Amino acid sequence: MDTIEIKNLTKDYGNKRGIFDINLTIKKGEMLGFVGTNGSGKTTTIRSLMGFIKPTSGHCFINGKECWKNASENAKNIGYVPGEIAFPDLKTGNEFLKNQAEFLHLKSGDYANEMTKKLQLDTSANLKRMSKGMKQKTALVAALMGNPDIILLDEPTTGLDPLMRVAFMNLIEEEHHKGKTILMSSHMFEEVQESCDRVALISDGHIIDIVSMNDIKNRPCKDYKIEFLNKEDFKKFMELGFNAARVQKKYNQVTVNIKNDEINVLFKELKGLKVKFISEIPYTLKRHFDEVLKVENN
Amino acid sequence: MSVIEVSHLTKDYGSKRGVFDISFEVNKGECFGFLGPNGAGKSTTIRHILGFSKPQKGSIKVLGYPSFKKYYKFLNKVGYIPGEIAMPAGLTGYAFIKMMQDLQGVHNKKKLDYLLDLFDLKPNVLSSDTKRMSLGVKRKLAIVVAFMSDPKVLILDEPTSGLDPIMQNNFINLIKEEKKEGKTILLSSHIFSEVDATCDRIAIIKDGKIVSQFVANDLKHATKKFYEIYFKTKVGYGKFYDKYKKTPFLKILRNDENKKMVFVEIDDKNINTLINILNQYDLDYFTNIKETLEDYFMKFYKEDVSYKGAF
Repeated sequence: MDTIEIKNLTKDYGNKRGIFDINLTIKKGEMLGFVGTNGSGKTTTIRSLMGFIKPTSGHCFINGKECWKNASENAKNIGYVPGEIAFPDLKTGNEFLKNQAEFLHLKSGDYANEMTKKLQLDTSANLKRMSKGMKQKTALVAALMGNPDIILLDEPTTGLDPLMRVAFMNLIEEEHHKGKTILMSSHMFEEVQESCDRVALISDGHIIDIVSMNDIKNRPCKDYKIEFLNKEDFKKFMELGFNAARVQKKYNQVTVNIKNDEINVLFKELKGLKVKFISEIPYTLKRHFDEVLKVENN
Repeated sequence: MSVIEVSHLTKDYGSKRGVFDISFEVNKGECFGFLGPNGAGKSTTIRHILGFSKPQKGSIKVLGYPSFKKYYKFLNKVGYIPGEIAMPAGLTGYAFIKMMQDLQGVHNKKKLDYLLDLFDLKPNVLSSDTKRMSLGVKRKLAIVVAFMSDPKVLILDEPTSGLDPIMQNNFINLIKEEKKEGKTILLSSHIFSEVDATCDRIAIIKDGKIVSQFVANDLKHATKKFYEIYFKTKVGYGKFYDKYKKTPFLKILRNDENKKMVFVEIDDKNINTLINILNQYDLDYFTNIKETLEDYFMKFYKEDVSYKGAF
């Protein structure tokens, strides 16, 4: 049984808005990234998992328990950071976290304290006056303090400054290493690329593609862009018959697609030619999804 | 000619907060990037430029006018997006646009329609109350209002924070067009890709001080390159490492025996030497690690976070 299972889930808000026939499973201990533009259906999917939304059709399950019917029971195992954070009407971050701890019947606040330290969060600050980053950190501590097995994060890093984003992502990756099952939506390809095991792309309420990061990182071929110092050497190289993905004659530049075990052949041939620079063009998640969308649109 | 001129600006709020001896200028037709985390002093500097705050020391000029004393001389030539958007209550999006047009004294329908289309602001959204708009819509409306009078100078405080990648891309294209028209732009942002794509010069601000100011292209076209070289065998790895660990032109910055990997720094002018050397080895994989704007930025903040990046 997979920890999170979404089967043919549809929530139709009319005017083509909503999510349509979503199928997605997340295994225990897996971290899945969820990318897509605003309004593409990321939040609706996550809210369905929390049992906040009754599906038009289809089902979703957490640990085998249907989400809408078992919302309160499921919630005990889930740490959730919503996309737009609204705190209850309490004075300080401390008061809020204490409330949460009571609600979760926590005996100790040790883990919460450890996290606030790591995030350098001043919990004595006024809840209403907190900056976006502080609110986000407070929400994360509240979500994780009960040590839940499942973590749902709705754009947790949007609007954070670069330093806070690093601190935030480090903490989430630690949870991942502890074996938690995590679903995280994001705008930033770089971020999910670094931390997630698999990534799903959603567009207009439909899942367009799901890709394993291992497949992105360990491709059988690599692209190298090479610029030569002179026309002659560029021409000599072009005659060798490497698979050229892109040629820019004007700059004596060529991008060649090389099988991983051909790298020594490439260096052998480059010996004696005057190279200005050589650089790998990495195959990124963004490039993968751009190509998927291009096929989709044609 | 410098359109925005900040010289030795200091505003001390106590407890080390504020800005201290900040100097930079933004020339006509230039986009100047302002990078720093929250609380570093970006907004404080920007608010001084607009004449909202009085400097304790130093001076600021916009279009030749001193900011605090003569702000009324230039405000109608400046488009501004504040870091936190607060809109007057009880107005629809349309009413807000009309109010701002009247204040700016410019009604440029063509530009307005172009911007509304670019940021996908539809009539059903614009006829609703600004209070009920999502954060993203408010941000987009603020961008439209700042650009719609076609001002000569644009001062943008984290303009795209929270917008999705497509809208961020549209924003980047807009900035490029405005630059072509000779507009002068100051852009404070967290988003490295955005600053990378638009800015000619960049300043990094930390604890109220500018710690680095540089031409964006210098970073992009740096001739110093970093490569990861993975060897097929431990023997090959060991041989390479022993032979070149003390070579001046080929600096080994990091090495990992288990991965059979060395991480080297080399200047472009020595790349052919490296190729010739590598020819004598059996390689598994070879890749370059680019120093991005983010890497460069993080260097200045290294002591504050446990940074696990390439350097």
